[in-house]
Amino acid sequence: MKAGRICDVLIIGAGASGSLAALVLAEAGLDVVCLEQGSWVKPEDHAHLHADWSWQRRTNWNPDVNKRVHPDDYPVISDSSQILMWNGVGGSTNAYGGIWPRYRPSDFRKGTEHGLQPDWPITYEDLAPFYEQADRLVGVCGLAGDPAMPTRDPCPTRPMPPSKVSKLLADAFDRLEWHWWPVEAAAISEDYDNRLACNGCGACNGCPRGSMCMYSTVVWPRAIKHGAELIVNARVLKIERGRDNNATGALYVDRHTGHQHFQKARIVVLAANGVGTPRLLLTSDNLANQSDQVGRNLLHHTLVAGEIWVDEPVDGHTGYLASLISREFAETDVTRGFVNGFNFNCITSVASAGETAAGWFSANRAPWGHDHHKWFERHFGHGFGVFAIGDDLPNPENRVTLDPEKSDADGVPAAVTRYVPGENDKRMMNYMLDRIEDIAEAAGAFQYQLQDYRNSDGVYCTPAWHMIGTCRMGADPETSVVNKWAQCWDVPNMFIVDGSILTTGGVVNPTPTVSALALRTAAYIRDNFRNLDGAAA
Amino acid sequence: MSFNTDEYQDRHELPPLEGAMLFAGLMDELIPGGNGWPSASSVGVQSLVAIRLSEQAGEAVLDRIVNAMISAGGPLAGRPTRERVVIVKNFEAAEPELFEQVRIAATFAYYENPFVVEAIRRKGRPYALRPHLLGYPMQSFDFDKDAPRHKRGAYTATDRVRPVDISKLNLEENRTKRWGIKR
Repeated sequence: MKAGRICDVLIIGAGASGSLAALVLAEAGLDVVCLEQGSWVKPEDHAHLHADWSWQRRTNWNPDVNKRVHPDDYPVISDSSQILMWNGVGGSTNAYGGIWPRYRPSDFRKGTEHGLQPDWPITYEDLAPFYEQADRLVGVCGLAGDPAMPTRDPCPTRPMPPSKVSKLLADAFDRLEWHWWPVEAAAISEDYDNRLACNGCGACNGCPRGSMCMYSTVVWPRAIKHGAELIVNARVLKIERGRDNNATGALYVDRHTGHQHFQKARIVVLAANGVGTPRLLLTSDNLANQSDQVGRNLLHHTLVAGEIWVDEPVDGHTGYLASLISREFAETDVTRGFVNGFNFNCITSVASAGETAAGWFSANRAPWGHDHHKWFERHFGHGFGVFAIGDDLPNPENRVTLDPEKSDADGVPAAVTRYVPGENDKRMMNYMLDRIEDIAEAAGAFQYQLQDYRNSDGVYCTPAWHMIGTCRMGADPETSVVNKWAQCWDVPNMFIVDGSILTTGGVVNPTPTVSALALRTAAYIRDNFRNLDGAAA
Repeated sequence: MSFNTDEYQDRHELPPLEGAMLFAGLMDELIPGGNGWPSASSVGVQSLVAIRLSEQAGEAVLDRIVNAMISAGGPLAGRPTRERVVIVKNFEAAEPELFEQVRIAATFAYYENPFVVEAIRRKGRPYALRPHLLGYPMQSFDFDKDAPRHKRGAYTATDRVRPVDISKLNLEENRTKRWGIKR
């Protein structure tokens, strides 16, 4: 960084959304600087290449920020969520599974539909071109033509090889006369864009082979090639604001030297995820929060699951981690007793024998002692999982706040999350669990085990893979943080491109939608830079 | 790196050899061998567990385990099977969290051992020590054969989203008391 330099666009956070914004803006010739508090993650750093990879997935490669100890991380205090987060170049795509379904049109119209959530200020159709653009970058595999979704372009690569699990589940869904479709994934089933096709190893949390799209290896090299400057180990302490309410840049600490720097910018783009972004705004003198909505309405998705075992060997530890998706219950049907819908993400099984024997995500595991191997032989290679993911209703008290005492190594207050499911969510979970039992029966299970993610005290402790909604997009500055272009109502030259702006959670994994929104917002900044720069002047 | 001298206080009197034997015996009670499966101690599980638990919880954790086993009725050596099982069950009941740590670490260490991986293969399941290196062979998706033939599924288009009547849901009044697995 050159002293006194004012960059055109300062991006905070080098994860999925930050990388896409950097790519679009650098391609346009803008002077882009990105500050990332973590480091680069090289392919050889991943656990996959080591014989103890399954133990590493439980310890130093645990996606839960509170279950691994890494200096790149910051504390997130929660009594109700397991926080999946990776602080580093590529963000949580270093550890995600890459399931890649889109929102559906009604997800953007929940205010119209029932009024318990707001409408988005944009429609599915506004976002559709950017979904396509993201899919091409990522190299999504999948199959166009799903009657449960709007028409889309052909996927860049064909669906993943049909596994024994997917065939068995397809038959089960046919018996139930429910919808199913090959899952779309951010992983390539054929060689694509100088990347090797998935080899079906099954260890899908990040992918050092590069078959799954990690944004550190797929997007960042292109952005850097076009001139984007990525500064790692640069932890932002505060975003500063000028007298005109525009952001002037960010104060950050070089974690290697301990020296503080101020990066001036004409436009600031926040891309620090659904916990990190509200944390940073709150610690920056409550920036962009005249609405008092920053940090509120934390969404995780309504999530329950089931592990199912069948007599026929299905070798669910092989192949890409997901097999099918079912959108049978994706739309609202109030006769079920609740609003909103849910999807089934049908996954294969856990990739390692040790994780199977120790218990995957349910309470069923190999006993110790005499019957240990008997259980193992009966269950290993015979199981698979089904996750039901539903659209949880926003609750302003489900939120991200700052801890008054605890802070990270550089003095930034720790984030605190609070999340309690509401009445509609509980009803939906009960319905979901009943339907998972239907699937188990239709699949001919000899055993199944449900998981409701309630701990021994009854507290719903969801593995919060998805942390969204905490700076939501809206049409009204009184009830939202950003407008339809992801521009902060209160700070005209500041944009947010991460999952915190999602107005509703939909019934799907959010990264495709986060990516599409980041591309759309970046294109808006690119196309309107002169006017926006004027706002900042 | 500094040493925490507290770790070395209140150590149990059991000499290292006996302690190691007790630890190995515990591993074999958790995962015994037989029917083509090596026992835990025969593939050295106790060594990896000792290292990992020490790393996670400090060296004193090994003494805690040994002490817990002694308190539960150990040592195991020379005792009949039924008594050994009772000792381990006593340990589990007395110190469930510590026992869980040991059990999990033993299970992971056991199944990442190359000899155990080979045993899994001999039972008929494809399995690799490091599957990411070569993957597992799979047939490509065949559009003619593998694409869904059903016509099921629908979505509500943007301009067809209509208000639904939620007046009968009574979300505020009718509270769900039993939910989740205990629904």
